[in-house]
Amino acid sequence: MCSDPSSLEGFQWLLCYLTTAKHMQFYGSFGIVMLLLVVTVPFIMVFGFLGALARRSGFAPFRWFGLGYTSMVRGVPDIAFFLFVPIALDQFVEFSRHKIKCSDSTEPIYQGNDFVVCAAAKMPLGSAPQFFHEAWGFTLAVVAFAIVFGAFAANTIHGALMAVPKGQLETARAYGMNDRQTFWRVHMPQMWVYALPGLSNLWQILIKATPLLFLLGIEEIVYWARELGGAKTGFFTYPHPDWRMWYFMALLFFYVFLTWASQKAFIWLEIKLARGMTSRTTGVRA
Amino acid sequence: MPDGNKDTGNPVIQLRDIHKAYGDIEVIKGVDLTAHRGDVVVLIGSSGSGKSTLLRCINLLETSQAGEITIHGEDVSWKNKAGGRVTSDPDQVRRFRTELSMVFQQFNLWAHLTILENVIEAPVTVLGKNRDEVEESGRALLSKVGIADQADKYPSQLSGGQQQRAAIARALCMEPQAMLFDEPTSALDPETEAEVVQVIQTLAAEGRTMVLVTHDMKMARDVASHVIFLHQGKIEEEGPPSEVFGNTKSERLKQFLSSTH
Repeated sequence: MCSDPSSLEGFQWLLCYLTTAKHMQFYGSFGIVMLLLVVTVPFIMVFGFLGALARRSGFAPFRWFGLGYTSMVRGVPDIAFFLFVPIALDQFVEFSRHKIKCSDSTEPIYQGNDFVVCAAAKMPLGSAPQFFHEAWGFTLAVVAFAIVFGAFAANTIHGALMAVPKGQLETARAYGMNDRQTFWRVHMPQMWVYALPGLSNLWQILIKATPLLFLLGIEEIVYWARELGGAKTGFFTYPHPDWRMWYFMALLFFYVFLTWASQKAFIWLEIKLARGMTSRTTGVRA
Repeated sequence: MPDGNKDTGNPVIQLRDIHKAYGDIEVIKGVDLTAHRGDVVVLIGSSGSGKSTLLRCINLLETSQAGEITIHGEDVSWKNKAGGRVTSDPDQVRRFRTELSMVFQQFNLWAHLTILENVIEAPVTVLGKNRDEVEESGRALLSKVGIADQADKYPSQLSGGQQQRAAIARALCMEPQAMLFDEPTSALDPETEAEVVQVIQTLAAEGRTMVLVTHDMKMARDVASHVIFLHQGKIEEEGPPSEVFGNTKSERLKQFLSSTH
């Protein structure tokens, strides 16, 4: 049906146009964004907890590390980190592999402005299928997001742990609980109520930060909207004028829906977790 | 089985020459206290006399700097550290705490748990008891203190008096050797205060071992087997309530008693 687009008209043309291979990639990129969110969140929480616990640690070097981590990420523009982390990580891995796999190599790695490692040290290998290249790029992106957003989560969790009234923890100890029991039975369950508003905010910011994937060479939805929406001359199979406005409007709806739906989910979660603690949390959300 | 089954003949709680300071400020200056099985020792004194601090030293929420604390004949073990002594056996500390249940001025019910969950939490988590069995005795204790119908509510849904009675049920559910009350009625309004006083009177009449810090002289008179009047970190006067209240010797206690009436 779509074999001769120039002969098509109206709705049929549009249908064929919207199902081209490039459009399929465009739709797939929505999946990439969702996948990034789903994969990154657990890492963000892990980084957040480790950062928060480091800041509370009785061991001074951990405390310094925790404070250094959160302060540094908070003080440096996100974009700088998104550009720095993947390059640094990529070069670190390739450098290490070069040292291990090509230990007999005499070629210097830093040749002027170039970073050159032997073919066997490439990450992924030059011969690897395209999928591995994309997966590696995606992994680097996840790490970058986890480091940056983990620092903010650490700050939120740290504050929430401090916000739990001391009497609640003292009572746990007065009834014979050890540190571990006090933390898991009382401190953590109550901490969530104070952490959730901050974490919900962080989630919204994370959704809105996903177009930064483009910076890391991942073709996400904003990239495709601009690509596909631009005016196409008669050389193209489906010529059309500048339709970027329509494409971006579609993105707008996508993002608004996603943030709206997650806001609903967070409100539900906050109410559920705040059970019994309502008198102290009604101020958070009226 | 009110006081458990440990009867060694030793006092349940014995303090000898306890000293406690915050920095350079000494708040307890050598206090002795003995509570035998069934004793109700009541600590009275003006604010800042050190009575709450002394109570918190007993279950080791506060660290005293000198003196001996003996629970059922077993000494608390200490080790020296820069800046003073600390307890040296965390297991012993936790074991003693499970034998000395505390009731706080501000109730301190765990806000994220229902009343029944509050009552059974430590027996299940700390003592490792069977949840179903503890739940049964927990419900029985809640009816004993008159709030059986509140079992599934959260603390914030209850009045102060109800919360404090729930806290007493929580303390009882540990089947402690002794109960420590830290001004249990001070945060309550007069109406709900009576409910709590009544529960404490019942417990005293049952022969439970208790150490009670209070501003309520009427309750002190009613429940005490032994009254200690603390003044500036020292025992100014002590004895049976009939003596302390009926035949007061110290001028300071006379002043104190007339000011609280």
